[in-house]
Amino acid sequence: MLDHSLTTAKSATGDYHALNAMLNLYDENGQIRLDADRMAARQYFLQHVNQNTVFFHSLNEKLGYLVDEGYYEAETLDQYPREFVHAIWDAAYARKFRFPTFLGAFKYYTSYTLKTRDGQRYLERYEDRVVMVALALARGDQALAMRLMDEIISGRFQPATPTFLNAGKKSRGELISCFLLRIEDNMESIGRAINSSLQLSKRGGGVALMLTNIREHGAPIKGIENQSSGVIPVMKLLEDSFSYANQLGARQGAGAVYLNAHHPDILRFLDTKRENADEKIRIKTLSLGVVIPDVTFDLARRNEDMYLFSPHDVEKVYGVPFSEISVSEKYDEMVDDKRIRKRKINARAFFQTLAEIQFESGYPYIMFEDTVNRANPIAGRIAMSNLCSEILQVNEASAFNDDLSYSRMGTDISCNLGSLNIAATMDGADFGGTVETAIRALTAVSEMSAIDSVPSIRRGNDEAHAVGLGQMNLHGFLAREGVHYDSAEAVDFTRCYFAAVAFHCLRASNALARERGTTFAGFERSAYADGSFFGKYTEADWLPETGAITDLFARLGVTLPTRDEWAALRDAVMADGLFNRNLQAVPPTGSISYINNSTSSIHPIVSKIEIRKEGKIGRVYYPAPFMRNDNLEYYRDAYEIGPNAIIDVYAAATEHVDQGLSLTLFFPAEATTRDINRAQIYAWKKGIKTIYYVRLRQTALEGTEVQGCVSCTL
Amino acid sequence: MKDIQTTRAIPRAINWNRLQDDKDLEVWNRLTVNFWLPEKVPLSNDVQSWATLRPEERELTIRVFTGLTLLDTIQNSLGAPALLADAQTPHEEAVLTNIAFMEAVHARSYSSIFSTLCLTRDVDEAFRWSEDNPHLQAKARLILDEYDAGADPMRRKIASVFLESFLFYSGFYLPMYWSSRAKLTNTADLIRLIIRDEAIHGYYIGYKFQRAAERLSQAERDALKDFAFSLMFDLYEIETKYTEELYDGIGLTEDVKAFLHYNANKALQNLGYEGLFPPAVCEVNPAILAALSPDSENHDFFSGSGSSYVIGKAVATEDEDWDF
Repeated sequence: MLDHSLTTAKSATGDYHALNAMLNLYDENGQIRLDADRMAARQYFLQHVNQNTVFFHSLNEKLGYLVDEGYYEAETLDQYPREFVHAIWDAAYARKFRFPTFLGAFKYYTSYTLKTRDGQRYLERYEDRVVMVALALARGDQALAMRLMDEIISGRFQPATPTFLNAGKKSRGELISCFLLRIEDNMESIGRAINSSLQLSKRGGGVALMLTNIREHGAPIKGIENQSSGVIPVMKLLEDSFSYANQLGARQGAGAVYLNAHHPDILRFLDTKRENADEKIRIKTLSLGVVIPDVTFDLARRNEDMYLFSPHDVEKVYGVPFSEISVSEKYDEMVDDKRIRKRKINARAFFQTLAEIQFESGYPYIMFEDTVNRANPIAGRIAMSNLCSEILQVNEASAFNDDLSYSRMGTDISCNLGSLNIAATMDGADFGGTVETAIRALTAVSEMSAIDSVPSIRRGNDEAHAVGLGQMNLHGFLAREGVHYDSAEAVDFTRCYFAAVAFHCLRASNALARERGTTFAGFERSAYADGSFFGKYTEADWLPETGAITDLFARLGVTLPTRDEWAALRDAVMADGLFNRNLQAVPPTGSISYINNSTSSIHPIVSKIEIRKEGKIGRVYYPAPFMRNDNLEYYRDAYEIGPNAIIDVYAAATEHVDQGLSLTLFFPAEATTRDINRAQIYAWKKGIKTIYYVRLRQTALEGTEVQGCVSCTL
Repeated sequence: MKDIQTTRAIPRAINWNRLQDDKDLEVWNRLTVNFWLPEKVPLSNDVQSWATLRPEERELTIRVFTGLTLLDTIQNSLGAPALLADAQTPHEEAVLTNIAFMEAVHARSYSSIFSTLCLTRDVDEAFRWSEDNPHLQAKARLILDEYDAGADPMRRKIASVFLESFLFYSGFYLPMYWSSRAKLTNTADLIRLIIRDEAIHGYYIGYKFQRAAERLSQAERDALKDFAFSLMFDLYEIETKYTEELYDGIGLTEDVKAFLHYNANKALQNLGYEGLFPPAVCEVNPAILAALSPDSENHDFFSGSGSSYVIGKAVATEDEDWDF
């Protein structure tokens, strides 16, 4: 490990951690010390990075060493003639890339760059990593490699962490971010799921598992009553599995579990996150998600009880697992069916409990099941989401023999992600080309991946080539352009921008289908194949409604697709299909948005100076992009803006995103469970698909605050 | 009637709807929403980080935490209960019992850290060290003298504020320092929860001191102030020696002393007095100062639990909320 601890020089001007922390303390004139952070970034290079980077006399020497020593994959470089390799490296270095913030540089060198095996010295600069990613993903296509390098180093496209971290390295984890697994109601499936979680955690990436089909606490096993222990012990096993399988100590394995609100164990499931939960049932590091159908809202509206149904009985009656049926559709039928054992709780009390737990822990995530399935253009049901609640795809159950081999191989879900920086993309000269290059890069990750340790994941990826293009820096961009996040203009921009991204994603995937001569499996049963998906784009315009946003697109030279172009795209898709079953998903973008100098995802900032804490980097301070002491009015944070305005922006984007968006809700600690419930109801009403975390901010009691602290002042 | 004992004051039930001092309810509310137990923090995520510390750094860390355990133990079993006798309102008594309980939680927390990260042998050694360390024992004795039955209630409050707002911080410095260097970040989360509590405790006891002082004569007030400053001098002298002994080995003593000055001033402010140390010697390392604020920290949930979650106020939804 490169040691950032006690050996660091500690002179007043040289301690880059101290300089960075000055961001969080106002100067004597009440100004935010943005210059201190720039000095911190510079000092970090002078004192730490430059002194700890291995020096090479030439590119040939460097690449020769890195390949010979087994750091770089020779195959990645061998796909290209040596002249081209020199040309792309020269072009990258000619860009004179500099990290604008300390956190960007610190995060990159701590977590991404290639180091010697003893962890003592750096082997790559940022430019080297960018070029290796471009060369690896372009797979010998020189024009694509050059274009991809340009997109990444200009900050327009940023691959997700696993891809950016691993591409081109000889010994590496997987390039894919995210995996979703079903669990069925039998011991073989549970055992296989635990093994799959270990395997996937070892290779990198978060894993989400669906518990909805597992029979409840007290259900019969082989006809004997009161035998099953329900979902909690399975959660415990999973939590321990994720703790055990950390990726060479790089980061803890991370997992999430989803449960339907009408599963009888739902309250036990939520209670695992209580502040005073018993150690035997407390869940500390596993993330929770609840799947809520529309009927639950209807029952709460009428202030009625909601019935919880035994998955074991539902499967016996309907012949399919609980997750395969729509609870909203079958609710009354199941209530009247004597063969299904059930119990009831008050629906409003359920929502209140949900909010109480969110207060104490930030969990659970919520997936609005019926909204998700109505908006799904693909045949099949979506019954779960993932660790960041932005992946929404159909899956298919597997069945196992006693030796855990497959008697029927279903499909499970993987998704590789990458995000566009909205500000950089709007500034770029070729909007459609940027989106297309990003889709090609993400598709390459899918084609280059084969997760043999979990065959159902491999099959899902081979058949679907699902990718998730995300977006970040919305707030940074709006603020730079003098637009408030909570304004009609922000909503107007968001809907037009996302409609245009959707257009170019589909255009790119359609081109890929033509080039490859094939479509994703099941295309013919999708709403793309019969053209019905395109109705809303060919029957209405998705152009700006406000003068300010019309001017903004015009000034930046970004043209938006017209109805005719949409109609032409529809015809092309109906003729040749799409290569990728899923195209967009907007992740929360933690680390990569710091490297990319962006605000996270399409959220508002959490603070003008964000306090970022992670296992590997400790506590570091991050200034909002484009912020100056004279434009602070556009940097009101998420707690000031409040949940409804955020939901409005997300609703505008959701309209055009085939998968989901990680939407966090922000409240002051004085809020009540009722405030959280109202926001959830508003989100559901506005067609939001999922809710990610609930975050709270407690202001210091007057008289106990740290003096002059930027993040403490409101 | 003969079954009523006339020597005893009439027991009265506490009525939270009749407040003599609104501050009691405000602080009560804040303390109860801030309730937490050490089990919520995934300390085991720090096991690997712990292994990267050098042996002398580990020894220092364990010793610092045993020192903190001692202070929390005093405050839990003697300090807060001693203040109870002086409480002016039943609500103040309720707040003080909450404070006493949370001090027990704090003392318990250090043991959670030990059992997660350390070997029993090392911990036992450190507890022995804390019993033998002259500086640690001296500061404990100075405070305990003021807590003794029969001592002056106002002086008791002064001692208590100094413990809560000043004496802890030579210890708190270290986990904050580690976390600013990306080490033991979950342990730092737990310590930040303790700091969140102690800040309120010191503030509240100081507030009660100031209210009570308003009813005293100028001469009595002057005498108290003299006492406060002379106790601060005594404690400060011990603290500097304690700090040197602990931190000289890794070269952080000057930094810790600036932090002591800063917190000594805060403790005096809690009592309504001006600061003792000029700003020039209170320039705390910004990384430490900024690390003290738990507000709006944006952690990644997969490696820690953060210190900003609280127990929420449950309010049922009404029909109008469900109007869709």
